[in-house]
Amino acid sequence: MQKGEQGVDIKVLITGDRGISVQVGEEISLEVNSRVLTLWKALQEHPVEGITEMLPTYAALMIHYRPEVIRFAELKERIEELAAGLTAENSSMEKIIKEVPICYEGELAPDLELCAELEHTTTAEVIRKHSAHDYYVFMLGFAPGHPYSARFEEPFSFKRRETARVKIPGRSVVVQQNLSDLIPFDQPCGWNIIGTTPLTICDYTKEDPFLVRAGEWVRYIPVNRAEYDRIQKQVEDGTYQVVVHRE
Amino acid sequence: MGITVKNPGLFTTVQDEGRLGYQQFGVTPSGPMDAHAFHLANVLVGNPKAEGALEMTFQGPSLTFTEDNVIAVTGADMQPKLNGEPLLMYSAVSVRAGDELQFGFAVNGARGYLAFAGGLEIPLVMDSKSTLASKNMGGYQGRKLEAGDTIAFTAPKTKLSKQEDRVLSKPLYPTDEVVLRAVPGPQDFEFTREELRKFFWFSGKITNEFDRMGCRLEREVPVKHIGDGNIISDGIAMGSVQIPTNGQPIIMLADRQTVGGYTKIATVISVDLGKLAQARPGMRVRFVRVGIELAQDLYCKELSEIEALQKRWEE
Repeated sequence: MQKGEQGVDIKVLITGDRGISVQVGEEISLEVNSRVLTLWKALQEHPVEGITEMLPTYAALMIHYRPEVIRFAELKERIEELAAGLTAENSSMEKIIKEVPICYEGELAPDLELCAELEHTTTAEVIRKHSAHDYYVFMLGFAPGHPYSARFEEPFSFKRRETARVKIPGRSVVVQQNLSDLIPFDQPCGWNIIGTTPLTICDYTKEDPFLVRAGEWVRYIPVNRAEYDRIQKQVEDGTYQVVVHRE
Repeated sequence: MGITVKNPGLFTTVQDEGRLGYQQFGVTPSGPMDAHAFHLANVLVGNPKAEGALEMTFQGPSLTFTEDNVIAVTGADMQPKLNGEPLLMYSAVSVRAGDELQFGFAVNGARGYLAFAGGLEIPLVMDSKSTLASKNMGGYQGRKLEAGDTIAFTAPKTKLSKQEDRVLSKPLYPTDEVVLRAVPGPQDFEFTREELRKFFWFSGKITNEFDRMGCRLEREVPVKHIGDGNIISDGIAMGSVQIPTNGQPIIMLADRQTVGGYTKIATVISVDLGKLAQARPGMRVRFVRVGIELAQDLYCKELSEIEALQKRWEE
C-alpha cells in the first residue's frame, strides 16, 4: 500500500494502456467504500485532463483515460498526490436515502415463506428485518442500474438458493444474508425473491434512467397489493415522485 | 432515405465508439470489437472516426440503397459485391439509389465494418448509437438487424474530397495463431512469477464461447492462482484477461460486464484487440508480455496515423 501522510492510502494498478484501478482497501465495508467515493468526488471536483470515465466499486476506483493526453506515470503521480491530500473520513458527505416501496404479498413475493422457513421464524418477522434498516448501495453493476447493496444490522442466515433460476422478472427484490438487490430487468438469479417493487429501476427513455446510485441508501417501504397497483399506475403515467431524504 | 436490409447476415449491429461515461451505472460500454478497422471505415468516408457504422459478424448482410451516398468496407473480407461486381474494400465507393450491396461469409477475418458518409440516423441512447443486443439497448431498436429494416442516412454525400485518393491497403489476418501483446495487471500479484511466466509462454485455443462479451480460451496448461482466484469485485477494462477458478482465461470484450470478481492477470493492449476480433474459434492465442510505455506509444501512434489520414483527405 502506498502510504500517504494523513491522506487516503491507495495502490494504483495498471489495467491495460487506457485504464487504472485505484485500490483503496481490501475489504467490503462502508469505511473503505466511502474512501472510494471521496476519491471519486475529489477527481470530479479537481478533474485531471485525459480522464474519460470513472467507475467506483466496493474497494477501488476504476479510471479510464486517454494516453494521448496523459501517460500512465503522470496520471499515477497526480492521483497519488490528490489521495495524499484527502481526509479519509469525509463526514461532510450528505446521506441520500431513497424510499423504495415493496410489496411482500402473493406472487410478488414467491420466496417469502421459504425465507421464513430458512430463518425459523414468521413471514412477518422476515419482512420486519428486511424493511427495518436502510441499505447502502456500494456500486452499480451486472446490469444497467443494478445496485449491489447491503444492510448492516440483523442479517439473514440463509445464502443463495441451491439452484439458480434461469429467469426472474425485473423489479424483483432479492435477498441473501445482509444483502438485498433490486433487479432492473429480467435476468437469471440464484437469490430468493422476497418482494417486488412497483418502481422502475432503470428506464433508458428517461433523462435520468437510474433509480439509485453508488453511495446512496435504499429504504424499503412495505405496501399492500392495492397500494402497489396504485403506485405502479403512477409510475406508468409518469406522475410518481420518488421520495428522497437528505441527511 | 438510406438502406433497406434484404438479408441481415448472421449478426449485424450498429456500433459507434460506445456508451462512454455510464459504467458507473452498470451500463456496458459496447462499441466496435475491432476499433481500428471501424475507425478506418469512417475516416475513408470522411466521417469523424467515432461515427456509427455497421459491424458485421462472420456473414454480412445484403442491402439495397434508397439514396445516393459514399460507403467504405473494412475489416474481415466478406467478399462484398455491388450489383454483382466485386467491391473494392478499404476504399471510398460511391453508390446510387437502387444499388444492391451483398456480403458473403468471411474468407479472412471475422468482423467487417460498413461506414456511410454522413452517418446513420439512429437515436442516441445514453449519448450513443451502439447496440447492446443482450440488454435490448441502443442501435436499431436495441437489436441486430433483420430483413426489412430500413435506416436513413443523416447527411449523405454524392462525392467526397479527394475521393480517388481514399484507398488503403487491405490487411491479411492470421488464420492459425494470433499473438496478443498484453500488459500484466491489475491483479498479476495474485499469481506466482512462475505462473505469470507460464501464462505468457503456453498458448490456448479459442473456444466456441467467443462473442461480443468475451472470448473464452482453453489451455492445456491452466493458470493457477496463489489464492482461490476470487477478488472483491472491481472494474473491468476492454481486453482484460480474467482467470476464473478453473484457470481457463476469458478475455473481456466490448459487451463485457462493467464489474467482476475474478482475478485479471493481464490486459491485451489496445492496438492488438482488433487482431482478436478478427480471429475465430479453433485458432490459438498466445500472449506476449509488454510494458505500459510501449503499449501507450503504439496506441498513440495508431491515433496519429488516423489523424494524418484525415488531414490528407481534407478539402
